[in-house]
Amino acid sequence: MALKGFTRNFKPLQILTEEEVEAIHRGTLEVLSVTGVRMEHERALKLLENNGCKVDYDEMRVRIPPALVEECLRRAPSSFPAQARDCKNSLMVGDNAFYLGVAPGQQTLDLDTWEPRAATRKENYDSVTILDALPTAHFFTPYTPYFGFKGVPPCMAMLESLAARIRNSTKFQCVGFSNDSEVFAIKMGQAVGIEILGTCAFAPPLTAYRDAVESAFRFAEAGLPMRIISGQVMSGTAPATIAGGIIANNAEVIAGVVLAQLIKPGTRVLVKDFSSPMNMSTGAPVFGSIGACLHNAASNQIFQKYGVPIDNATCYPNSKRPDYQCGYEKAFRVLIAGLSGANTLLLHGSVYGELTHHPLQAILDNDLAGMVGRFMEGVQVNDETLAVDLIEEVGPIPGHFLNKAHTRKWWKLEQFVPKAADRLTYPEWMKAGKKSCLDYARERMEEILATHKPTPLTPSQEEDIEKILEEARKYYQERGLISGEEMATYQESMKSPNYPYG
Amino acid sequence: MSVEVLANLKKAIVEYDNEGAAGWARRAVEAKIDPIEALDTMTVAIREVGDGFGRGELWLPDLVGAADAMSSAMPIIEEEIERVGASRESLGTVVIGTVYGDIHSIGKTMVATLLTAHGFAVNDLGINVTAESFIAGIKKYHANILAMSSLMTTTAPEQRKVIETLKEEGLRDEVKIMVGGGAITQEFADSIGADGYDPTAAGAAKLASSLVGK
Repeated sequence: MALKGFTRNFKPLQILTEEEVEAIHRGTLEVLSVTGVRMEHERALKLLENNGCKVDYDEMRVRIPPALVEECLRRAPSSFPAQARDCKNSLMVGDNAFYLGVAPGQQTLDLDTWEPRAATRKENYDSVTILDALPTAHFFTPYTPYFGFKGVPPCMAMLESLAARIRNSTKFQCVGFSNDSEVFAIKMGQAVGIEILGTCAFAPPLTAYRDAVESAFRFAEAGLPMRIISGQVMSGTAPATIAGGIIANNAEVIAGVVLAQLIKPGTRVLVKDFSSPMNMSTGAPVFGSIGACLHNAASNQIFQKYGVPIDNATCYPNSKRPDYQCGYEKAFRVLIAGLSGANTLLLHGSVYGELTHHPLQAILDNDLAGMVGRFMEGVQVNDETLAVDLIEEVGPIPGHFLNKAHTRKWWKLEQFVPKAADRLTYPEWMKAGKKSCLDYARERMEEILATHKPTPLTPSQEEDIEKILEEARKYYQERGLISGEEMATYQESMKSPNYPYG
Repeated sequence: MSVEVLANLKKAIVEYDNEGAAGWARRAVEAKIDPIEALDTMTVAIREVGDGFGRGELWLPDLVGAADAMSSAMPIIEEEIERVGASRESLGTVVIGTVYGDIHSIGKTMVATLLTAHGFAVNDLGINVTAESFIAGIKKYHANILAMSSLMTTTAPEQRKVIETLKEEGLRDEVKIMVGGGAITQEFADSIGADGYDPTAAGAAKLASSLVGK
């Protein structure tokens, strides 16, 4: 039985009219067939040409006819299972299920200064342990919790990060691609009997570089599912308008869907809507913006029509610490994604953009997620919840409901109780030391680290993971991607008696 | 006549009018206006937009729009400078790009525009630029500043590779190297032997001036 995640028990929010959905669909088909996309991969271009696309090999541009687009959207499964290390943590992606994932950060945060700094190996492994314990962190995404950690050369970051997650968590895993890292990631998955969700990432506007397309081939041919991603910044790499941005994004991810379905029909794909407006002073993406929420909600409506599962990317805040701004930026994204029919979203732990992550933030996000998940379950209406007989039984004052079995049964089912929120009265709050949610989250973090023991790998699985890491280290050394100096630091870090955990 | 043509050239740039800028540049050539004076007018125009951006009154699309208008006029004026044999003065010649494996262009483009506004001759090699292409660019344009951008920690090491390749080619001392981008820190810049780093685009322009002693 797969992990339930959150279930939306009511119709999704629909912010577009039928005509508007159709206009965006027609625009997308026109872009795909007239403008086309650039795919820097000869084998992909030949495959597309053999299936009726027009290919300009000099420009590496492929123009995809509408009939093929629609056929490939039909071939993509509308929901699919994805196998985790513990089958209780496997996912069933699609329909009205909503799963939340761990969000990555390049670095960790210093909790005293709120400044970013590189995470240590121990901090990386401890963060995975904390995330393993949080019930609303349903799966892990690439480079989580950190984009590598101290002592690890950049080309090994993806794989060291995956190894840490496989060792310290039984939850579902995704990976990206970088310098053939996906080849070793697929092997790691096979070694422990799990499926890994791969990634094919377009570069907006309308371009897929060779390594992204190669990654699509590798995952599809291995019979594994994949995320198809682009990452537009409206006004920069996509039009400033939300409708135009959706057309551009959809042209990119749908070109990826077509490719995946041609490589292997029925390949499980999860398209991603990762769009942010631009900060017009700095050029940086404005992640936690209401514009991104509108983009998500409209895209969700369109992909429900296509019957293809959709991810709403990451609710990265712009705030540099877990404060009011961070809270509302994340809350809007996750609530709107859930209400409008997203199937997955990355939430837990990200602080500023994809630059910082902290388990303290993940603990706060766990409460936010729980509230949204509760809302999505909606209102149960049946004889028992209507409670007409009970109201009759209690009658007017001095009657009350606190001593009723109905209350004892139902309050816990109806209410969501956050674990790290301050809900005290003033006198209680003063007596307890004027604690805020940050204080409670810090206490919970320490408690989880003291008590939660992730399910370990078997000795032979552990040996296989280490062998694959060693194989990758050799591969990158031979290709000159790890310098002598980096290797010396790396080897030194591996001499710790607590390796690989600290 | 000359005053009117130059005023219109400037106006076209500050109003982001590509065709107008090219048209008034051609008129300037026809009217035999000193091309160096025309170039100065354009630099004043782009600096005005750059200053407005710095004060928070103008925004990125304004900055990029003005830079595009200037780029439309520039080849016409440069051709005339070459024809009359005048020498173009700039604070320095920059080769700029986002390193190989990295396709993030916006930060790099902002820096390129602000460097132009400060009076540098800027040659933007674009994104996903290999070490070999950077070196070819430095040789082609006789650059004295190399500016590299990298947004991702996974591509930051490429900056080190470019610097190492420059050393192998014996070109390291020919250029001052400045690095930037989301993945770069002062510590990293020092570790790869770059000459300068700044976390902001406006700071990068000031850094470039100080690197060439201006």
